[in-house]
Formats: sequence, C-alpha cells, structure tokens
Amino acid sequence: MAWLLQFAGRTDLLSLLMSLLWFIFMLIFLIYPTFSQKIQLSYMLRDIERKLLRLKYFRDEVRKRTIQHLNKYSDENIKVDEGVDRLLGSVVIEPIDRDPYGIMYKLEHIVNTWEETFENEVRALCPKADEKTVKTLTNLVEVARGLDYIYRVIRHYYLLGKKTSNIYIVLQVQMILPQIMEIAKAYRQASYAFAQGQPIGDGVGVLAVAKLVDGMEKKTYEIAKDTVVQETLWNGRRLLVLRAKGPGGAVGKPGEGVKKLIEAEGDKIKAVITIDAGLKLEGEESGKIVEGIGAAIGGIGVERYKIEEISKAKGIPLYAFVIYESVAEAITPMKESIAKAAEMVVERVKKLISEKVGEGATIIVAGIGNTVGIGMT
Amino acid sequence: MIPGKYAEKIPTPLTHMKCLKCGTINSRPFKEGDYVFKEVEEKCPKCGHNKMRIIGIYVKEEKEKKSKLL
Repeated sequence: MAWLLQFAGRTDLLSLLMSLLWFIFMLIFLIYPTFSQKIQLSYMLRDIERKLLRLKYFRDEVRKRTIQHLNKYSDENIKVDEGVDRLLGSVVIEPIDRDPYGIMYKLEHIVNTWEETFENEVRALCPKADEKTVKTLTNLVEVARGLDYIYRVIRHYYLLGKKTSNIYIVLQVQMILPQIMEIAKAYRQASYAFAQGQPIGDGVGVLAVAKLVDGMEKKTYEIAKDTVVQETLWNGRRLLVLRAKGPGGAVGKPGEGVKKLIEAEGDKIKAVITIDAGLKLEGEESGKIVEGIGAAIGGIGVERYKIEEISKAKGIPLYAFVIYESVAEAITPMKESIAKAAEMVVERVKKLISEKVGEGATIIVAGIGNTVGIGMT
Repeated sequence: MIPGKYAEKIPTPLTHMKCLKCGTINSRPFKEGDYVFKEVEEKCPKCGHNKMRIIGIYVKEEKEKKSKLL
C-alpha cells in the first residue's frame, strides 16, 4: 500500500485518487480530441432547445389567437382551425431569375395572385366580417404565418445540427438566435395589435399624409386596389395625396397609383414625395426624420420599381422622408415618439414643397405603410 | 407550459381624443373599434360635449437612461 501512496509523491489516499482522476481526465482529451467540441455542441444544443420551446409557445399562442378571432366572424359549419393551418403552411414560389428581363412584372403577377387568393381564403373563413375587418384579419393570419415560418426554420437547423453533430451549423444558429427571438417577440405583440385593430409603427407614413390633408377641402377617389387619392389645394399648389384606404389593415398599391397619376397628369407633376418608416441603426433615436432622394417604399420592390421607372421616364424628382424605427417598432403598436414624428413630418413636407416647387404646380405626396387603425380624413 | 417566467407584458396603447367643441385633449385606454380620426360619442370632461375625435393611438414611452454613446 505504501508503494502505491508514493506514486506522484502523495502521502494519503484521497490526494492520490484526485491526481489519478485529473490524469484520466487529461488522457480523455489526448485520446479523444473532439471531446471538448462535443461538450460545447451539447451546451449550444441545449441553449437552442430552450429558445425553440419558447418559439413554439409563441407560435401556438398566436395561432390560437388567430383562430379565436376568425371564429368570431365565422359560421358553425366552417372549420376555421383547418383553414388557418392550411394558410399557415401555404407557400409563394418566386419567379426564376436566370433570365431577369421582365422579372418585375412576373413577380407582380405572382404577388397579386397570392394577395387576392389569401384574402379570398380569409373572407371564405369569415363570411360575417365586413371588408375592413377582412383586411385586418388577413394581416393577423400573415403574422401567424410569419411566426410559424420562423419556428420551422430554427427547428430545422436545430434538428439538422443535432443529427449531424455539426458544430458549425449549430454555432451559426446560436449566434443569430437573440435577434430572431426579438423578431419573434415583436410578431407576438403584432398579433395583439392586428387582432384589436391598433395602429402600428409602419403606419407612420399614412398617418403623416392623413394629418397633412386633415381639415382641408378635398376630392377623394380610388386609383388602384385599396389605394385612394385625395386631391386638394395648398399654398397655391395642387396636392395629390396618395395612401392606402383605412382603417382596415391594407398597404394598397402606391406604385401603381403614382404611375397612373403621372400618366394621367403628364407634365403637370413637378415632384413626387414619399413618406415611409425606415430601419434605424442601434443607438439611433426612434422617430428621427431624415430627408433624402429616391422612393421611400419597402416591400419586394415591385411598387418601388414602378415609381422609379415612371419618374425617370418623365424626369420628375423623387423626394423621400424616412422616419426611423426598429423592426420591432414597425410591427407593434405605435410608440409616442413615432406618432409625434408624423406631425413633425407634415411641417417638413410643407417646407420642402414651398422651397422646391413653384406655385401652380402639382405634387404627388404618397404616404406609405399599413393603415390598420388609421381612418380616412 | 412556458409562461410565468416568460409571460411578457404587452404594452396597451392609449387613445387620445379631442373635444370637437372646446378642443380639450383627453386620453383613456384603447378599446377595440377605436381608430385614428374616428368620431366617438364620449363626454368631454371639461365642457360636457358628447362628441370627441380620436387624434392619436399610441403607447406611452418610459424615459430610458441615455448612454454616453448616443
């Protein structure tokens, strides 16, 4: 026994055992070099699994809320949950871009068909809903669809990383997961906003143009799907204020509207002003207003393409006003700083018109955004 | 299953209304059916007129501590 205790210079059994344990532990790393990577991988997978469970909870909660709200406007013989599940799993296949010539019009056709079909499906599930409510419910189902997609993608990469024990796949998912969770939380709040018809941050452009023409004598007419023009006079200039029709959740077709107005008015249009929400950088203040040149309009690009194409053809300058906000603020109930920014933008637009456009001219002012919770003035 | 620890507070916006007679601005919690520029039949707390117009619906922000980087 004494010879054993002399091993590694120890005098008692306990310290000998501790030395042996350390020795075996270090030997594992020598014989099995990827052992540390396995430990790291299992830690990362557990972290992703926790967040995935939370994503699943969000997804299920928003799905349940969507079904509840659709049921309010449905009939007893309609299976709303089956209809919602079908809509959540539906896909849009983008046109092939190997031959990019004419792709914008192909994309427009697919998007228009998709939007019409989606809205008709929601309308069929909710026969008791009026037109304004159908639009808002369509937005609610889209939010549920977005959250479902986020959950399925993260689950895919989690299971793939676990199956293949590929630390690089898992590492990339873990790195991006905090931002994904922020977006998922925002989608969850957005479902409340759409379920109750509350205005969201993305509607700031529409709110600004509504405040611009509030109290003025105007002529209102529809120019494109869910899109109206309010014609009025201000300070010796003719304003054609374009926006989506509220208070249901709609974004309209502002690009199509601007194109039709310019084609109808010809050389009378001297400027096109667009007002929209834009993504801020971290550290920037929400509600900050910036001016620029170009078409301030988001989406997949079809509407912006139309505004740019027709403006270039006619030589009309494009002025843009962007109100900064985060991704979360754009889809959640409107914050006070963004609502106040809508009032400030009106003054900035009036100043620009007075400085850049002469009297007697016609200007198009387009308010871009989702009109949920924002009525007509 | 998950809530409790993860039950987050969903911010409720306030509906701000302006009296069509005296111009007083009043606010109350958002109710389903409210939308900006809607005329509602609610009593003005100042003059008692029963028609008000919704001028804004937004979430009141808490003042955050500004870091030296901003």
